[in-house]
Amino acid sequence: MTALRAYIRIVDRMNRWIGRLVMYGIFVMMAILLWSSFSKVGSDLGFDINPSLWTLEMAQFAMVAYYILGGPYSIQMGSNVRMDLLYGEWSDRRKAWTDAITVLFLIFYLGVLLYGGYDSLSYSFQYGERSPTAWRPVLWPIKTIMCAGLFLMLLQALSELAKDILRIRGEHIPREVI
Amino acid sequence: MSYELIAILMFSTMMVMLMTGQRVFGAIGFVAVLASLLLWGDRGGYDIGFSAAMKLMKWYPLLTLPMFIFMGYVLSESKIADDLYKMFHVWMGGLNGGLAIGTIGLMVLISAMNGLSVAGMAIGATIALPELLKRGYDKKMVTGVIQAGSSLGILVPPSVVLVLYAMIARQPVGQLWLAGVLPGLMMAAMFILYIAIRCRLNPALGPALSPEERDVPMGEKLRLLRAGLLPLGIFAAMMVPFVNGWTSLVESSAIGALTAFLAAVFKGRMNRQVFETSVRSTLGISCMFMWIILAALAFGAVFDGLGAVKAIEDLFTERLGLNPWVILILMQLSFIIMGTFLDDTAMLVIVAPLYVPLVGALGFDLIWYGVLYTITTQIAYMTPPFGYNLFLMRAMAPPEITLRDIYGSILPFVLVMTLALAIIMIFPQIALWLPETVYNK
Amino acid sequence: QSTIKWRMQTYAGPALAAHVIDPAIAMFNKIAGDRMQIELFYADQLVPTGELFRAMQRGTIDAVQSDDDSMASPTEVTVFGGYFPFASRYSLDVPVLFNQYGLNEIWDAEYSKVGVKHISAGAWDPCHFATKDPINSLADLNGKRVFTFPTAGRFLAQFGVVPVTLPWEDIEVAVQTGELDGIAWSGITEDYTVGWADVTNYFLTNNISGAWAGSFFANMDRWNELPEDLQTLFRVCCDQSHYYRQWWYWGGEASLRVNGTKMQLTSIPDAEWAQVEAAAVKFWDEIAAESETKAKVVEIFKKYNADMAKAGRPYRYG
Ligand code: NA
Ligand code: NA
Repeated sequence: MTALRAYIRIVDRMNRWIGRLVMYGIFVMMAILLWSSFSKVGSDLGFDINPSLWTLEMAQFAMVAYYILGGPYSIQMGSNVRMDLLYGEWSDRRKAWTDAITVLFLIFYLGVLLYGGYDSLSYSFQYGERSPTAWRPVLWPIKTIMCAGLFLMLLQALSELAKDILRIRGEHIPREVI
Repeated sequence: MSYELIAILMFSTMMVMLMTGQRVFGAIGFVAVLASLLLWGDRGGYDIGFSAAMKLMKWYPLLTLPMFIFMGYVLSESKIADDLYKMFHVWMGGLNGGLAIGTIGLMVLISAMNGLSVAGMAIGATIALPELLKRGYDKKMVTGVIQAGSSLGILVPPSVVLVLYAMIARQPVGQLWLAGVLPGLMMAAMFILYIAIRCRLNPALGPALSPEERDVPMGEKLRLLRAGLLPLGIFAAMMVPFVNGWTSLVESSAIGALTAFLAAVFKGRMNRQVFETSVRSTLGISCMFMWIILAALAFGAVFDGLGAVKAIEDLFTERLGLNPWVILILMQLSFIIMGTFLDDTAMLVIVAPLYVPLVGALGFDLIWYGVLYTITTQIAYMTPPFGYNLFLMRAMAPPEITLRDIYGSILPFVLVMTLALAIIMIFPQIALWLPETVYNK
Repeated sequence: QSTIKWRMQTYAGPALAAHVIDPAIAMFNKIAGDRMQIELFYADQLVPTGELFRAMQRGTIDAVQSDDDSMASPTEVTVFGGYFPFASRYSLDVPVLFNQYGLNEIWDAEYSKVGVKHISAGAWDPCHFATKDPINSLADLNGKRVFTFPTAGRFLAQFGVVPVTLPWEDIEVAVQTGELDGIAWSGITEDYTVGWADVTNYFLTNNISGAWAGSFFANMDRWNELPEDLQTLFRVCCDQSHYYRQWWYWGGEASLRVNGTKMQLTSIPDAEWAQVEAAAVKFWDEIAAESETKAKVVEIFKKYNADMAKAGRPYRYG
């Protein structure tokens, strides 16, 4: 049990820290898109700037990093909706029991995602894959971020399982922490 | 096993998984990757899940999602709508039911500044509701007013639901947004009419403000009107460059988010706490949306791989031989039924891809259908037992409002909305006139 | 004996596929009957086009119809698929290059290295600009955000064009939402067929390529498992699709220029356009410098175009 508690503490702290960092990514996306409109409108008005080649794709990379790396923190905050028609009425213990089982399905999903991501990433490295656009950025950096995020998500799901096990044993652990 | 059977099995497994209360994205994603592994495991079936992540990355309108979510949080957290409320309060308070009517007006303006119904709900429940109750308004009626009013949020542009719909139906967002304007205003007018008539018949439901409360100097009254400039400014900053084609959709959403943020800063409302909550909640809600969409894309790819869309189309048109209008109405009804137990994003990304191609194949206009779809989902979220708006209301309303009050409050408004839906079905031009005129097609 | 089932994905959305692939696959399925059936999926339906190659390489998808460039195949010949600037003038140039000038062998060798069978290349349509605002000079290209092929985009960037790559099915909407100012992806037949003519106003008669090269591919193991007669049948149906395009585009381009009502034609004067053609020669040399295989393909292009010029009319007019 001590080991479980230690695992929860470490994983939750790390994911929270990462999540709180990437949450400012909203301003990164905003800045990229504002630069995009600024450069486009500027060039339309005849100023000597070219609309940038990279903005849309860069904003897409930022968005992916934002939601994948921020995913574990969103689980901690309890942001991911559940259908609580029945669930909402259950006792904490019953919730913990059900979650302890159904979180395995979530873990399975994340595992398959991560496996697909690993495969896609190794392809990227093997062939030096570039995005099929004029900007042609190499794709391994974003795929590495995606795989890292999926791995963290998996760690977080395991931490949720650990918490449910502790709850079943009667410990009180808050369900949503910001 | 036939593909139809597999599709039905997938759908029902997902429903059961959802009922367990596991996170929606986990339930959908699990069924998707499991089915894909069982069907095509020996042929790379394991990469459908991750492929969906690459597909999501390329779906550029999704970039608007975090922008609009951030915008909504900035507006509701920074309480820059307070002045707006005061404006309606002073100008409309003298009428019976005037404050409730003013609340609908407030909701229209809030709708023009954000793309989700959450912000309207938050502002209505925290600013308007306590005031209305203090003034002796009937609690059942005002709860309904706020729920109904906040549903305008996704009908009046900008609208996140219409962006998601646009991606699925592959229809231009600009035209869909414009198509929502007149139906949104019409629905607001119908709400107002309903409130006015009821309060006229029974003034106790919404008593007029006392003369001393209404005794505001004209100068002050006019000064308050300036509050209305803020939403107009934010709306214009975002919509004018967009409709004129100076900026693209995603760029406009960033401009909207920036404008809302600056408005809060200049009004001195952007303190540390507001900033923190807005940024953090934006991450939470964006992640909620994105992970569900990620899972649903994988689910949809497997469904597509099975040819399930075609099967449903055949079932409706060939095997049952139904008239297009009957099919359309059945679809609307099924949304309302599904809305009683399905979460809104899940409904959009799972069910809409099945229905939208069929609606197109039946020869209906997909822009018009987008409006019908939006109103229908709003009705679905307001109807018990499960509804997004119902739960939001329960979470945000003051304690004297019980769940029973909330359930009881929505019936008349649901009827009004259904009437609006019927009117737009019969007269599609209410939705289509504005986009056709602006984009002169 | 059970039916062999293949899953095939095309780069084209349903409206275009109705011409360029549906008939060929319907024909294949009809003839092969219980022996083999191909299920066809459209652009981005099962996997996003960017992931198409990999999905085929490992068998998630058995066969693909695409150009090499858009599906980002990890080969030396990728840049030449799609529209390689000014490599061809007429749609018959492409099959001649592949069948008589040795491109088939190069493609076959390149794809075999990465576990994919290159079945056959065909000529598709010419590449023109369809835009919201008129293009009457090179200066009008400056700052235009245009959906185009990766390689064409690299080439066009020197004239101030901002190439944008989006999922094919999102293009029409992207033009309407202002993400794009235009499209440099097809001829006028395709503009009308897929609905792009409804969202753009002008068609530039100058083309940056006479015909694109697009191919049919299959996963190597799946291909080798097929009995020889089904392989032959598949080849025949692919050729049928190529043949359909030959007359459908050739007639369509002329007919819509003459009778089309949705797009107004504009041209860049020949003298000015000559700058673009000169830039292409330089671009070819840059590409040739990248590797031996690329140098070989560029050499073939040069030889072919020189031969055509020598042959004179009707092969080349001046
Ligand atoms: Na709105
Ligand atoms: Na409901």
